[in-house]
Amino acid sequence: MFARLVRESFVRNPRRKILTAAALVVGMAVATATLTVALDVGDRLAREFRSLGANLLVTPESDTLPLEIGGVDYRPVDEGAYLDETSLGKLKTIFWRHNIVGFTPFLDVPAIVSADGVNLRTTLVGTWYEHAVPVPDGTKFKTGASATHPWWKVQGRWFHDDANECVVGAALAATNPGAFIIGKTITVAKSESAGQPQSLVITGIASTGDAQDRTVLVPLSVAQNLSGHPGKIRQLFVSALTKPADSLSERDPQTLSAKEYDRWFCSPYISSISLQIRQVLPGSDVRAIRRVADTEGRILSRIGILLWIVTLAALAGAGLAVAATAATTVLERRDEIGIMKAIGATNSVVAGIFLAEQVLLALAGGALGFGAGVGLARILGESVFGTPSSLRVVLLPVVLGLAAIIAILGSLIPLRRAAHFQPAPILRGE
Amino acid sequence: MFTRLLWKLLHASRGRLVVALVALVSGAAVISALLNLQFNIERKLTQEFRTLGANLVISPARDVHSVGSGADSPAVMDQGVVLSEIEKMRTQEVVAAAPYLYIVAQVKTKPVIVAGTWLDEATKLAPTWKIAGGEVASREDGTSCLVGRNVARQLKLAPGEQLELTYLGRTARTTVAGIVDAGGPEDNQVFVNLPVAQELAGMTGQIGLVQLSINGASKTVAAYAQRLATALPGFEVRPIRQVTEAEGELLNRIRLLILSMVLLILILTALCVLATMAALAMERREDVGLMKALGGSITRIVGLFLAEVGVLGAVGGLAGCIAGVALSHWMGQRVFGTAISARWEIFPLTVALMVGAALAGALPLRRLGNVKPAVILRGE
Repeated sequence: MFARLVRESFVRNPRRKILTAAALVVGMAVATATLTVALDVGDRLAREFRSLGANLLVTPESDTLPLEIGGVDYRPVDEGAYLDETSLGKLKTIFWRHNIVGFTPFLDVPAIVSADGVNLRTTLVGTWYEHAVPVPDGTKFKTGASATHPWWKVQGRWFHDDANECVVGAALAATNPGAFIIGKTITVAKSESAGQPQSLVITGIASTGDAQDRTVLVPLSVAQNLSGHPGKIRQLFVSALTKPADSLSERDPQTLSAKEYDRWFCSPYISSISLQIRQVLPGSDVRAIRRVADTEGRILSRIGILLWIVTLAALAGAGLAVAATAATTVLERRDEIGIMKAIGATNSVVAGIFLAEQVLLALAGGALGFGAGVGLARILGESVFGTPSSLRVVLLPVVLGLAAIIAILGSLIPLRRAAHFQPAPILRGE
Repeated sequence: MFTRLLWKLLHASRGRLVVALVALVSGAAVISALLNLQFNIERKLTQEFRTLGANLVISPARDVHSVGSGADSPAVMDQGVVLSEIEKMRTQEVVAAAPYLYIVAQVKTKPVIVAGTWLDEATKLAPTWKIAGGEVASREDGTSCLVGRNVARQLKLAPGEQLELTYLGRTARTTVAGIVDAGGPEDNQVFVNLPVAQELAGMTGQIGLVQLSINGASKTVAAYAQRLATALPGFEVRPIRQVTEAEGELLNRIRLLILSMVLLILILTALCVLATMAALAMERREDVGLMKALGGSITRIVGLFLAEVGVLGAVGGLAGCIAGVALSHWMGQRVFGTAISARWEIFPLTVALMVGAALAGALPLRRLGNVKPAVILRGE
C-alpha cells in the first residue's frame, strides 16, 4: 500500500517532480564539481608551484664557505668538498621518490675562455639540461635544469650532455658580440698555463636572469674533466612536491613520539623529504630554500582554506536550492494531505510517504547531478590547469547521502506545519 | 491604491514571504561575499607572493664591461643618481629597495663574501629570513653586522661576538648582531651596512646593484620597471624572471580557479532564488483570478506582482549584501589573517542580480493573462 502510494504520486504528477529533481541535479552537480576541485587543488597547485624551481638545496656537509653571488660559485676548484654524481640516482629510491620532480647538479669552475683570439676570465657552470640519470632499479630518470630552472631561456638550443658543446650567458655574449655566435667554437682552459684547452661549440645564448648570464654553461662532464674532479658535483638543486607545513612538521623530529614520527616521515613535508635525501646521500647537508618553500607553503595553505570555504558556500547554495523546492512541493500538496488525513492517515504515515518520495528523488537527482558534476569538474580542471580532474568515485556515496539529507531536512519544516493542518478547512478550500 | 495593494500583498502573506526572503538574503550574502573576494583576491595574493623577495634588479648597463677585465668582477655604478631616483620613485607599491655591493673579504685568512647593503631594508626584502639574535634597525649603524648561518657555523660566531673583516690591508671591526637562516646563498654571506663595505673596498659611493621588491600584478611591476628605466638611462632595469614569471603564471591559475568556482556558485544561487520566486508567484494564481473577476486589467495585476517580487528582491539583496560583507570580513581574517575590505561595487551588483533573478522567477506570471477567473474561483 505504502509503495503503491509513493509510486502513484510519481506516475500521476511527474511534472511537479521534475522541478525538484532539476534543483537536485543542479545543486548536486555544483557540489560534486567543487568538492572534486577542492580535493585535487593542493596536489595540482603544488605541481604548478614547481615553476618557481627547486625548493631544496643539497651541499657537501664538510664544505668550506662557497663564494657565491647570484647563484654562481667563484671558489677555486681545489677548495671545499664535493658530492658524488653517481649516487644521485638514489634520490628516486626514497619513500617520497614520486614527489621528486627533478634535480640538477652544479659544478662551477673558474676558467679562461678564448674566443676569436681574445682571452676572458669567467666561470664555467657545469650542469645538466636534460639528462637521463640511471636509477638503481634499472630505469632512467630524465631531469636537469629544464625541471629545476624552468625560467631559463635559450636562443638557439641547449647543449647535449655528452657533446663538447656549450651555451653562453647573454651578458657575457654581449661583451663580445662578434665572438660569441651560435655555431662558432670557443676554447676553455682551467688557467693560462695548466691543462689542455678544450674546444666547445656554441649551441645557444642563454638568458637566466641571474649571475649565470655572465658565465658559460657547459655539460657537467665537461666541467668535471676540466676541473680535474671527474664524477663530482658542488651543489644539487632538488625540486620536490611538498605538503604545506603544519603543526606537526614544525616540531623537531627528535621530540616526536614513535607514532607521530611515522606520520611525519610518511607525509611529504619538506623536512621529511630533506631527511630522506640525507639518508641516501651521506655526508650531505640538505636545506629547504626557504624563499621558495615558505612562499609555496603559505599560499598553498591559504588557497586550501579558501577553496574549502568556497566549497562550503557551494554546498550551502545547493542545500538552499534543494530545500526550497522540497518545501514548495509539500506546500503545494496541502489538499492531498488534507484528504489523506480526512480518510484516517496519521501524521507519521503522511510524513513517511512524503519523505520516501523525497529520498527517492534525491537519490535519482543526486546520481544524475554527480554525473553532471564530474563532467563540470573535468571542464574546470581542463581550463584552469590544462589537465582534466580525475574521477573520484568516493564522492558518489557522499553526494547521494548529502542529497538525501538535504531533501529530508528541506521537507521536515513544511511537514511539521502539515501536521497541524486541520482536514476540514483544507477540504473546504480555505 | 497601487502602493496600498502592494503593502497589503506583502503584509497578508508574511509567513511565506519570510521563507522567500530567507532564501534571497542567504543567496545575496553568498553572492556578495564571493564577489568581494573575487575583487580582492589578486591584491591579497600579490602581497603574499612578496615573501619571494626582490623581483626587480637595477645594475650597470652591460656594455660597461671592458673586454679583458673579465666577467668575474661585476661592474659597479655610482650610487648618487640611482639611490636618489629610487627614493624619489618610492611609491606605495615598493615593498622594499636596497643597494648591494659585494666584495670577497677575509676573515682570519678565510675568504667570505661580504654584502654591503641597507640592513633595515634587506630584512624587509627577504621576509623569510629567520634571524637569531637581533636585527639591525638602522642603515647608519657602522658597527653591526648580520652573519649567514653557514658563516657563523664555520667561524664559530654567536650574536654579540666581534668579527674582523679585512680586504687589501684595510680592516673593518663589527659586532655580530644576528645570525641569518635564509636557506639559500645568503647563508654563506656576511651583511654589513653599505658605507662599511664601501670603505673596506675603497669604493666610496659605488654600488654593484639595487634590488627592489614591487607589490602588484605583473602589469604593475612591468610599468614600474618601465618608469625606472626611463628615469635611469644608462642602467639596466630587469625583472628577476624566476620570481616574476612563476608568480604571473601562478596568479593566473589561482584567479581562474577562484573565478570559475565563484561563477558556478553565482549561477547556482541565482537559480535557487529564481526557483523560490517562481514558486511564490504560482501561489498567487487565486489572487489573480479574484482581481480579474473584480475588473483589474492584466497589465496592472502583473505589474502589481512584479512590484512585489522586485521589492522582495531589493530588500533581500540589500540585507544579503550587509551579511555578505560581514562574511567576507570573516573569510579574509580566516584565510589571509587580514580583513577583506568591502568594495562599493558589490552593493549595486548584488542588488541588481537579486532583483533580476527575482523578476525572472516571476516571469511565469505573464501566463496569468490566460487565467479564466471563473475556473480559478471554482477552485480548479
